[in-house]
Amino acid sequence: MGLQTRHDERLECSDARSGLAGFEAFFRDHYRVVVRLAQTVVGDLQGAQDVAQEVFLAAYRRFPGDYEQAAGWVRVAAVHTALNVLRGERRRDKRELQVQAVSSLPSAEDTVIEREARAELRRVLRRLPRRSAAALVMRHCGMSYVEIAEALGVRVGNVGTLLRRAESALRKEMDRETHS
Amino acid sequence: MRHIPDGVLRRLDDEPLAVPDRFTEHVADCGRCSARRASIARDTELAARLLSAPQLVPDADMAWARIRRELQWSREERADRRWRRAPVISRRARFPSVSLRAGLVMCAIGIVVAGTAAAATLTTIFAPTHVAPVSLSQGDMRAITAFMGLGDSHVLGGFPTPDGSSTVRFGTIKWSSSGSAHPVSSLRAAAGEAGVPVSLPARLPAGVGAVQQFIVQPRASVTVTFNSTAGSLGGSSVTLDAGPAVLAEYAATSGTGVPTLGVATMPRPKALSTGASMSQIEAFLLSQPGIPPELAEEVRLLGDLRTILPVPVPPGASVRSVQVGGWPGVLLADKLNAAAGVVWEDGRRMLHVVAGILDSRDVLNVADQLG
Repeated sequence: MGLQTRHDERLECSDARSGLAGFEAFFRDHYRVVVRLAQTVVGDLQGAQDVAQEVFLAAYRRFPGDYEQAAGWVRVAAVHTALNVLRGERRRDKRELQVQAVSSLPSAEDTVIEREARAELRRVLRRLPRRSAAALVMRHCGMSYVEIAEALGVRVGNVGTLLRRAESALRKEMDRETHS
Repeated sequence: MRHIPDGVLRRLDDEPLAVPDRFTEHVADCGRCSARRASIARDTELAARLLSAPQLVPDADMAWARIRRELQWSREERADRRWRRAPVISRRARFPSVSLRAGLVMCAIGIVVAGTAAAATLTTIFAPTHVAPVSLSQGDMRAITAFMGLGDSHVLGGFPTPDGSSTVRFGTIKWSSSGSAHPVSSLRAAAGEAGVPVSLPARLPAGVGAVQQFIVQPRASVTVTFNSTAGSLGGSSVTLDAGPAVLAEYAATSGTGVPTLGVATMPRPKALSTGASMSQIEAFLLSQPGIPPELAEEVRLLGDLRTILPVPVPPGASVRSVQVGGWPGVLLADKLNAAAGVVWEDGRRMLHVVAGILDSRDVLNVADQLG
């Protein structure tokens, strides 16, 4: 191993350490909200944490050393990644139904109803246009119109319209689910 | 004045101060806009109700520890790629050449190695009630094997002989077993010889055929005796007992002869210490030169090691905490989800491992039938 290479590696390690400190601060500031956004979509904490891990690893590579720029990005990425998880689940739905017959033991009626409502919501969310679904999840996780606009790259004045369309579509889809 | 757009009416409910007064005044005087606002509010309320699932607080410390480990692996992989000029074989291409038994042996050895380390952190007894993942990088694997005196050549094969001893920097390690792993004729024979209840799944995933053999691994024990270089631990010893274990190996329906699924059952491992306290031994082990600080931190984050069996997570594997029959388990899968395994301890103090060349859902489905 040449001296120059060793030198380069040491520099890289030093850069990595300082970058990691900055990234940790960014991670701790935004982790909870990212998990919350993902959990609203996927419906369970473990799945949401998996999504969050994927999102933060991607942010680390995408915004080297300038993580504050990534605050909006991780929120959008969390929702989109979680929606991708839902779309992946659809492909497995048929198999899941067979599995549930063997392995699921409903504990109480309300639990079953609650679970069914969550499943219904997930089915509807994956049918909504991406941006509508993202705006909807962000708003109902407490993000302001300004934050949503920044995260989605739209004008603040358009956020209300996006939300209105998303909620209207959500209601129609839920009605369709109920009557189908 | 024209009627108010839907988007503004929607914002009026969320951020009324951000909406100009003239809009607010118009809505107050306009029956049509008021009605639209009420309709919009109903949809908003429905959405809020649907999206307001209870939010659990995630463990940011644990999540950060995992992310940092993942980043470290990435750096190691980059370094490996830089120096290794040999052609890289893709994970998908390489995996089928690893037999399931080799995979299970690696898993079992990993558990024993981690269990031994965990056992050494106990005062009088190690009796885990549940499992928890510990991420291991390539560097950690090398550090652990060097620290335990196993040497690179023994990592995949476990201890070189059924009985023997090895000297390490801080003392000696002795291992013994009442025999080698061997095939038996039936499930009844396996359960009888091992003396443990063994359940098998009633329904198997597609592609999995019948059981091709049952294997019994007799009881084995490892004793670590600390010498004077271990300070206050000098003279004390810790013994880890594991097994006996039964492994049911399933063939593929394609008839390739390569096992596709393995179901292993064993009593939970236990450890006895001759007197050193848990905090003494934990502090000693985790502060040893060669033990990576990130690994030490992750072990500390596990909590009370007397009741936790650490499950080593190899580099590149994905890990999830799952419930199997209501008991906490650890689910591991390779990056492509082409192979997966789940480890859990049930309420009867039995440890189970289900692993195979299957995706994680199939593995969980099998596990759920046993849990």
